[in-house]
Amino acid sequence: MIPAAWYAPLPSFLWQVALHSSIAGVVLYGWARHLRLRSGRSKRHLLALLLVVPLLTAAIPGRTSLEFRERRAWLDSGRLLAMPLVAGARAYHLVLLVGAMMAALTIWQEVLPALRRSGARRGEAPEPLVGLARGFPGWERCEVSLSRTDAILLATGGWPRRPRLIVSRGTLARLGDAELAIALRHEHAHWQEGRWARSHALFVVRLLQCYNPVALWTFREYCLEVEIECDAAAVAGRDATPLTRTLLAVYESTDRRDVAARAALRRRADVLLGNDRLDDDALPLATILAAAATLAAILPWIV
Amino acid sequence: MPPRRLRGLGSFLLVAGGLLVALRVLHVGVPLLFPGTRPGPFAVASLDEAQRRLGFAPLVPAYRPATLGVGRPSLTVTLGPYPTFLAVWRGEHSLSLTQRRGGPRPAAPPTSQALAGVADSLWWRDGPTNHLLLRRGEFWVTVETDLPVRDLRRIADTLGPWSARGPGPAHARLRVPPPG
Repeated sequence: MIPAAWYAPLPSFLWQVALHSSIAGVVLYGWARHLRLRSGRSKRHLLALLLVVPLLTAAIPGRTSLEFRERRAWLDSGRLLAMPLVAGARAYHLVLLVGAMMAALTIWQEVLPALRRSGARRGEAPEPLVGLARGFPGWERCEVSLSRTDAILLATGGWPRRPRLIVSRGTLARLGDAELAIALRHEHAHWQEGRWARSHALFVVRLLQCYNPVALWTFREYCLEVEIECDAAAVAGRDATPLTRTLLAVYESTDRRDVAARAALRRRADVLLGNDRLDDDALPLATILAAAATLAAILPWIV
Repeated sequence: MPPRRLRGLGSFLLVAGGLLVALRVLHVGVPLLFPGTRPGPFAVASLDEAQRRLGFAPLVPAYRPATLGVGRPSLTVTLGPYPTFLAVWRGEHSLSLTQRRGGPRPAAPPTSQALAGVADSLWWRDGPTNHLLLRRGEFWVTVETDLPVRDLRRIADTLGPWSARGPGPAHARLRVPPPG
């Protein structure tokens, strides 16, 4: 049997978020594969759905009682968690191990880099670059700072009223004017059409699920989809070559061992080069809402 | 064929339905392969079986008035989240005895009071039913009955662990009658 503490309100909620997230993830992944779903709005909606819906369905109370689990539930995960593995270990030990690893990974790969970036010492950015950045609508008060790293780094931070652009010395040295301009346009697109608010809201949702491997994968996919969307916004009505060259430069400067980052860059380049195309209307909104409602109706019966 | 504005929903339902069937197979199949994974409740045929499943000896009262009936009580065992034993006698009067190992104290109303002469007890009345909550070592024992309070006190006094070795009054009357 699994320990009684597993059915206390908080552990039970955290486990059910991961459980519902995994089940919804398998359904949505299978569906997307079946539809051969391309990058675009529909895919972003499904990924956001996968991050949010499990938090709601797992919060529905009154489902951890033995009566519910034995007589009404479609699946009682307690049965799977109690399965014996080896040397006295049970499946729930493995679940705890994976959860702890995911939480450590989140701190190491997401929280610490963000803290390091915000605390790094920076210098003054060149005046033409500041002028270029402040020329974008809404960025009139943009703070531009120079990172001392020689790697290609171009990132934004701050808040919508006071955005901050961080450009590295390596970026200024290795990108030409056209590449730098389109890269800035890409960064500016992150602050347009509610993308900043949506990404940050989902980041909070994802941090609440820092132990959940499905949430980790989903949020990274969502971020990649937003990058692809911002690439498309940056090159709209323009030549895509400078941005493709920029991505290539970043790709070449990325450590070969960072397989995930290089794969994401390849995907973005594929879309820009037209090898893979964007499809914002792959699924009607009504279909996505109906799928969300179906998941919200099904998942509470799984405990 | 779904309308155009619900394009793609059919394949979603197909994928979701397929996964739900697979999950149900797991729900039903896992306990068949690993019987210990199911928390119960299980109806058990004897106190022997209850003890084997629970890993502790059920507490049973040696005193049971004849008005509880001559038939065997219904015995139920639950393994999770806390191992629990439930015995119910039904005759002219009824008695239900729940014994749970560990966990928080079962709820008792503010009007409950210690039953005179019974250690670690809380007693209260709810309509015709007398309730008694006892702490016995690591166990919480709850007794519910429509017997009078004096019987309740005697039940509490004669409560003891059942043993497979001695026939004893509890053992003798709780065994399953032989088939046929």
